[in-house]
Amino acid sequence: MNTRKLMPHEEAIELLPWLINDSLSGDERDTVLDHARSCVICRRETKALENLRDSVKRVISPAPIPAPDMRNINARIDALIHRQNLGRRWLSWIAEFCVSPWRIVFVAQTVLLVVLGTAVLWPTTRNAEFTTLTQSQDLADGHYLRVVFSPDLTHARLGVLLDDLGLAIVDGPSERGVYTLATQNSMAVAERDIALTHLSNHRSVLFAQPVDLGAAP
Amino acid sequence: MTNASNANDLALLYRVGRGDRGAFSELYRLYQPRLYGYLRRLLPDPTTVEEVLDDVMLVVWKDARKFRGRSAMSTWIFGIAYRKAMTAIRSELRYQAPLDRSTDANAIADKTSPDIDWIRAALVHLSPDHRQVVELTYFSGFSYAEIAAIASCPINTVKTRMFHARRRLKVLLPALAGQAREHDREHA
Repeated sequence: MNTRKLMPHEEAIELLPWLINDSLSGDERDTVLDHARSCVICRRETKALENLRDSVKRVISPAPIPAPDMRNINARIDALIHRQNLGRRWLSWIAEFCVSPWRIVFVAQTVLLVVLGTAVLWPTTRNAEFTTLTQSQDLADGHYLRVVFSPDLTHARLGVLLDDLGLAIVDGPSERGVYTLATQNSMAVAERDIALTHLSNHRSVLFAQPVDLGAAP
Repeated sequence: MTNASNANDLALLYRVGRGDRGAFSELYRLYQPRLYGYLRRLLPDPTTVEEVLDDVMLVVWKDARKFRGRSAMSTWIFGIAYRKAMTAIRSELRYQAPLDRSTDANAIADKTSPDIDWIRAALVHLSPDHRQVVELTYFSGFSYAEIAAIASCPINTVKTRMFHARRRLKVLLPALAGQAREHDREHA
């Protein structure tokens, strides 16, 4: 009498690929086979999977396998061992060096001297390594605009735009293509802000920003 | 895998872990054909296959000491190869035009007789995860538990991936399903 528990169909059909590659354990294999004997769908699926396996194997297996060539892997392992040995040599040198406490004191003292010397001699103020849009470039106090124009803006259209807004280029372009603009009355903030609104909405203006140098807002 | 061959594998790997280049050479020669075949079926370019194979074996050399024997050595090595292959496949997919793949899928489904090109093309249309499961099952003969260990995922994920791969292949390869039906009818 067969005492094996019947396997649900969903579970059996999932295991069919491993039934046909013969990797199911004995019990599992028998249970799937028991189910397949009474299940038309699983029998059909098994046949389809066998066909698929055979076709797929026929298709892909002919790729010739080259003879093992270990030159590359050996070179990589040599390099790896070399790096590891270098690291070990350094560690052993440091360990050897630190055997005497006087040497440690000497190294500590030297490091301290170098740090102190650097702190004393290092210039306290350094020039900025980058420029910002708001950095003044010898401009008089006043309310300005920093603007980046689209590269497709022609010289003629730029002239018309500036005339319409009563603006003039007072500086630029910078390395980043930034122009500094001022109104005819460079102290009038309201005038500048109206011009800013127009510029911000203009399609040939990529960027516009107000800048106040020294003047009260 | 038998217990004896597993013990031999472990002894070999132990020697590799101790820096024995001769043992490494032996291990390389033992696994190169299987790994090359596995990678070659997944990666289209033989040069990439050789690079990935060397990457895998370099990890084996470096990590041999860390192997604790919780799985068979082949499962461990194929796990490394799986991850390296996935990385290579993903980086290759990044440079492929997605339109080509969908166009080919329609062409494949229209075919009525099996031939080498369209079966190969159908496999290419599986996702890398699904293709790996099909490959590891049909070519490398791994059990689902071993595939789960290789892919570092739960067993149910392996079964689900296989289920989806089978469904996709049925759409792409209707002729094979047809053959099965005819065969059934003949033997009914």
